[in-house]
Amino acid sequence: MPAERYVMGLFSDENQAAAVAADLPKTPWKLQRVHSPIPSQRLAHALKVKKSKVGWFTLAGGIIGFFAGFLLAIFTAMRWELMVSGKPVVSLVPFFIVGFEFTILFAVFGNVIGLITQTNLPDFGDFKHYDARCSGTHFGILATCAEDGQAELEAYFRQQGGEVRVFEA
Amino acid sequence: MSELTYATIDQTILQTLEKPRPGYWLIVAVLAGGILLGAACWLYQIFVGIGVGGQNNPVAWGIYLVNFVFWVGIAHSGTLISAILHLFRAGWRNPIARAAETMTVFAVLTAGLFPFVHLGRVWAVYYMLPYPNQRTLWPNFQSPLMFDVVAISTYLTVSSLFWYTGMLPDLATVRDRATGLRKKIFTLISLGWTGKHEQWRHYTRGYLFFAALATPLVISVHSVVSWDFALGVVPGWHTTIFAPYFVAGAIHSGLAMVLTLMIPLRRIFNYEKIITVAVLENVAKTIILTGMIVGFAYATEFFIAWYSFNTIEIEVFRYRMFGDYRVGFWIMVVCNTLIPLLFFSKKIRTSIGWLFGLSLLINVGMWFERFVIIITSVARDFIPHAWGLYAPTAIEFGIMIGSFCLFFFLFLLFVKHLPSVSMAEIKETLHEGAPHAG
Repeated sequence: MPAERYVMGLFSDENQAAAVAADLPKTPWKLQRVHSPIPSQRLAHALKVKKSKVGWFTLAGGIIGFFAGFLLAIFTAMRWELMVSGKPVVSLVPFFIVGFEFTILFAVFGNVIGLITQTNLPDFGDFKHYDARCSGTHFGILATCAEDGQAELEAYFRQQGGEVRVFEA
Repeated sequence: MSELTYATIDQTILQTLEKPRPGYWLIVAVLAGGILLGAACWLYQIFVGIGVGGQNNPVAWGIYLVNFVFWVGIAHSGTLISAILHLFRAGWRNPIARAAETMTVFAVLTAGLFPFVHLGRVWAVYYMLPYPNQRTLWPNFQSPLMFDVVAISTYLTVSSLFWYTGMLPDLATVRDRATGLRKKIFTLISLGWTGKHEQWRHYTRGYLFFAALATPLVISVHSVVSWDFALGVVPGWHTTIFAPYFVAGAIHSGLAMVLTLMIPLRRIFNYEKIITVAVLENVAKTIILTGMIVGFAYATEFFIAWYSFNTIEIEVFRYRMFGDYRVGFWIMVVCNTLIPLLFFSKKIRTSIGWLFGLSLLINVGMWFERFVIIITSVARDFIPHAWGLYAPTAIEFGIMIGSFCLFFFLFLLFVKHLPSVSMAEIKETLHEGAPHAG
């Protein structure tokens, strides 16, 4: 099997990058990934990205938090059954506040867990095919091709207005 | 903003992280001295007892709690700018969102110290924590003070996570341009972020949820703080208006602090093209709104006291205007409700000098608002023979100075070591489709 080459097209223009990202699947080369310094709606549209599932983690956290807060307040009240100011030992109105705060807290924890698991962060070993300009000024489109198709892929990126960087496999 | 490119944005913001001048370290050292002064005063209070403060019977809540409410209030506009305005897609908030969110985190940290200071016997704080114990005593969650413990710790946790998450792409930008030890540190704290579309896909969603969760949280937190007062039967405190009144006041004071911090920041770091006068003008316009809400709340309190025909309420509010603390009251009224009206003048709200000066006055006014609410109500309670006066002692002032120094110390360390403006968000606001690398 011929060796695979990693070639990155670096674009200073978001529109050019989005056009290349949309066009690459129609070519013989394989689009690996796209790096960008900003969250680009145009790139997301070109790549036809699906909706993130992070929200489900957030929702799960919120539901757990609501019951955890309520149950904690009820539990602590039940451990020391003292009537205060004529209010029932299990007073739902004040306990709702604890439930509310825990809902937010646990929803945020769920959100963080969702972000960590979905984005696979932390990931310190993923800089092999990465160009530092992608965190600043350029949109990087990484594609792979067969060894004999490298020149053609490079020419394609240049023709689209990009700069080219070739990585060791 | 139109003159900016991605490259100039990076260059301007990364320049701020270069080696500081000696003057910077001098200011940091002075602030560290202030923190030590505060710490020494607190230590003295721990050794001698809470009696070294001016709190007495009936004024058991002194400036420790005044400062607590003040700093919680300062925190709020950071979340308004970073979360609420994010949900409203208000692009003008992007240049100041990072610094405002940082202000939130440090202000909540500072606020969180005061309940500990106020406790006196600080080592007894574990009574507030719900964990299995041999005392078989558990916190009572019917108490608004326990609501506060839950709300403030939630707010600190959420704000810190929101702040750090928002900074992740910028930490990667710094990492990619750093060398040596700094590169290693930023590699670690940027968690390997590379701006892959898969990362952005989840990140933008997660950030949106952060903002959506922080919004009700920020409203609940200052509502809970207001209930520390409103759920008591003390005249002047026991009103239903307190929650929205406190939330509006919190945002009012926080916006003023945003101006106080941003104006020197943009001058020192040459941020004039990023934090434009239009951005500061928008903050000033928002201050007009919050100032009017606060003014309406002040007037409503007085109206209801008069309309209720409750002699005790009437006396408390008469005492606020003309009693022993009348100077504080009038400072509060003038600085919080009248001075913000000057921002109706375009000339004033677009003048950096006026913006800075007036923001300082609003900060002073909001500190006095907390003082007037807390002190005057308990000083003039139901029974005339139990009336009393309160004046802070040098120890209390020392701790208060320490808290201000702590806040500015942390903020100064932040602006020279982490990106104080969000590079990714500023780039987003640039004209779409234009080439940026230039």
